[in-house]
Amino acid sequence: MISYHPDSRFLTDFASANLPMAQAMCVSAHLEFCGKCRAHVHQLKEIGGHLLSQIPPVAVEAGSFEQLMSKIASPQPLPTAPSAQAHNALTSIAPKSGKETYLPRSVRRLSNGSLQNLGWAQFGKALRIAPLPIAGETLETSIYDIKAGGQMPEHEHRGEEITVLLKGSFSDADGTYSRGDFVVRNAGEAHQPTATQDTDCICLVCLERPVRPRGWFYRLLEPYIQYRLHSLKRNGATH
Amino acid sequence: MGTKDETNGFKQGLPKGAALTADPWEEALHKVAESADRAAFQLLFEHFAPQIKAFLMKGMSSYADRSQAEEMTQEVMIKVWNKAASFNAAKASVNTWIFTIARNTRIDFIRRNTRAERKIEIEDIWHEADSPEPIVDFQQRRVEVEIRNAMSTLPAEQALVLEKAFMESKSHNEIAEELDLPLGTVKSRIRLALNKLQILIDR
Repeated sequence: MISYHPDSRFLTDFASANLPMAQAMCVSAHLEFCGKCRAHVHQLKEIGGHLLSQIPPVAVEAGSFEQLMSKIASPQPLPTAPSAQAHNALTSIAPKSGKETYLPRSVRRLSNGSLQNLGWAQFGKALRIAPLPIAGETLETSIYDIKAGGQMPEHEHRGEEITVLLKGSFSDADGTYSRGDFVVRNAGEAHQPTATQDTDCICLVCLERPVRPRGWFYRLLEPYIQYRLHSLKRNGATH
Repeated sequence: MGTKDETNGFKQGLPKGAALTADPWEEALHKVAESADRAAFQLLFEHFAPQIKAFLMKGMSSYADRSQAEEMTQEVMIKVWNKAASFNAAKASVNTWIFTIARNTRIDFIRRNTRAERKIEIEDIWHEADSPEPIVDFQQRRVEVEIRNAMSTLPAEQALVLEKAFMESKSHNEIAEELDLPLGTVKSRIRLALNKLQILIDR
């Protein structure tokens, strides 16, 4: 049962395609789990469709239709051609076993179909992190894998953090979150998530700025964490 | 946007069921899908291409000049031609379907012009998420008609923020900056507008 949804700001900015890629990816992942928010996005797009029909039109150039038809008659590779290829290749990134069917399409794409293909950095016994390569973004996007019962270091947010639960569940002082939940934490909020006992917890996390771990141990560790994550990114996170 | 009275008067004249099938562009799109009908496509082009061009020019002012808007309009219309068979009248109006294609073409264009990662495709994120059940689809179309009717009753300041979001392609933050309003005010104006349109997101 999904209890945490993107608010009207996230859904509107998503439907009008005005969200940064990394955040849009989080909303999109949530939509794959949540029919209610999918319906809302449909409704929001209807606003776009209606406004488009009311827009003062701008005349196209003379001969534009004939030019278009000649393009259609002899198809040139469009600048968007990779998109079409990618479309066809989607079957190849479909999860091979039943194991990773929970992965949203964008994560499957970026991990070539399996989380095993990502470059992982291990932090302590309970946590490993794989940065996702979304270049041209100032946001940090990663997959977090927390072992069943494992606890993350308590950390404080210096910017907005979005977490989408892909598998398992975790809890913190404010509540329990499960598959599909879209959880937003704002700057200045601190928390210490713990994965539930029965299963590993896998999350898609988008951070505005790196979080600051609390406690001397993790403060000492932080430069190392940043170094490890950045070197993973530099080397390309997928093989 | 038409005045209140005009729009309401017109809509009230239609029986409730009629509005659902009153999308004159569906037939043209079906002809394109079924028999690559050039005349039907020309009708669609003459109606939609100038709207698409206007939309792209509004949303792209910092990225594209007039000639690029023309080229991108053709790109959108090529997609309309190629994807006509995937149009599903039970799910969306032709207006909304074309808006979606134009919107995705716009962000794809922005990405092509920045050094952004090409590994992930726009359609991996802004895809038509796997369909809700048919019953939901039907309700969806009824809601659409209600949204269209209610749009003309919005107060000017609420209509303005929706216009900026959907036509000028601005995020909440960008609208706040441009209108010199706190983010919270933009958010609540949009939320009030959505409530009036019966899009009840934040409960």
